[in-house]
Amino acid sequence: MQIDWIYGLLGGLMIGSAAAFYLLVNGRIMGASGIAGELVDGTAGRTWAEKASFLAALVATPAALAWVFGGAQTHLTSNWVVVVIAGALVGLGTRMANGCTSGHGVCGISRLSLRGIVATVFYIMAGGLVMALARHGLGLI
Amino acid sequence: MRNLTAALSGALFGTGLLVSGMTDTVKVQGWLDVFGDWDATLAFVMGGAMIPMAIAWRIAARREVSALGTPFPPKNRSGVDPKLVTGSVIFGAGWALAGLCPGPALASAGFGGVNGAIFLIAMLAAMVAAPKASRLLDRMTAPKGSTMDIRALTPTYAVSPQIDPEDLPAIKVAGYTTVIDNRPDGEIPPHLHTPVMEEAAKALGLTFVANPVIGGAMTPENVAIQRAAIEASGGPVFAYCASGNRSSVVWALAHAGLKPADELIGIPARFGYQLEHLRPALEAAKG
Repeated sequence: MQIDWIYGLLGGLMIGSAAAFYLLVNGRIMGASGIAGELVDGTAGRTWAEKASFLAALVATPAALAWVFGGAQTHLTSNWVVVVIAGALVGLGTRMANGCTSGHGVCGISRLSLRGIVATVFYIMAGGLVMALARHGLGLI
Repeated sequence: MRNLTAALSGALFGTGLLVSGMTDTVKVQGWLDVFGDWDATLAFVMGGAMIPMAIAWRIAARREVSALGTPFPPKNRSGVDPKLVTGSVIFGAGWALAGLCPGPALASAGFGGVNGAIFLIAMLAAMVAAPKASRLLDRMTAPKGSTMDIRALTPTYAVSPQIDPEDLPAIKVAGYTTVIDNRPDGEIPPHLHTPVMEEAAKALGLTFVANPVIGGAMTPENVAIQRAAIEASGGPVFAYCASGNRSSVVWALAHAGLKPADELIGIPARFGYQLEHLRPALEAAKG
């Protein structure tokens, strides 16, 4: 749809404001993979409660909005083998690289961090390549 | 208070992901599908998100600490390493296959159905396994016949439990150029004493630095010597003590204010070194 980019921009501004708020108030980088990863592998230490609060709100707010307004859809593939493989790759890769779309992408690039820029270039390139292969080459997704 | 503001940020982040359409895998996969029906929405999302964040970094640069008194995370100066690139490529592949990255995967938990939950479980399980997989990779690429346990905290600094003079050639082959001895001689038998290790290391052309750390009585001088040795080294540094714990502690303190405290505590924790008690000192330091 033609107006999708307006929602994209609006949502993007909200994402960026959330990251800005988290940095200026809590003094931390808003990276989804780092926050989730440190909670599950037990390295969050004393920052545990803070990160758990962030995560709980991140899950609960869209869930509530989707329930009230309806219409939210992920259109995730029904092929659970692909889902498991994709989930494992995302979990492993983001922890190895120490960041994902929010940490390296939004927070890193806006700071002109070399690591953030390099990571983003590589995950987008790999994503485009795998997409071309899996969809147009193998017809997998 | 911290928990409340963190929750506010999480709520806004989740709402933004939902509004932007990033919880819809069709949009994300559409962005990556350059050869198909390309969807540019993600570029607007990323662009939009960077505007407030770029402003926030400018404000942060002019202040010492955040509104709640936490020092701002310093820029990671360790540069680009193979793990950053390998990890990003692995992540990108998974991102394309399902169309979900960690943020949207969590934000869509409430309406993502069974498969969304399966994705989350697989992702979180892989996050738990990631440090082990990463270490396995290190061990597989290590020279054969070595019984040592080199624990690379960063590409340029590794710690290890007590080593033998016979381990030194493997350390050299692994690419380390400086060896730091953090164990006082009083704890160990003579054949492992500093002069023996020093002679063996120098015979191989390795730089050797003796910096004995007494357990529980580390001095500022210990930290200064470690920092100077790391800075002076032309290549990766290998430090050892009894378990690798003291070598991790001096490393963390030597980088206080130069790397985020979360990283200085989180990385050693992956190898079993608990440095949480250093958090106040690490967060208070200025770069």
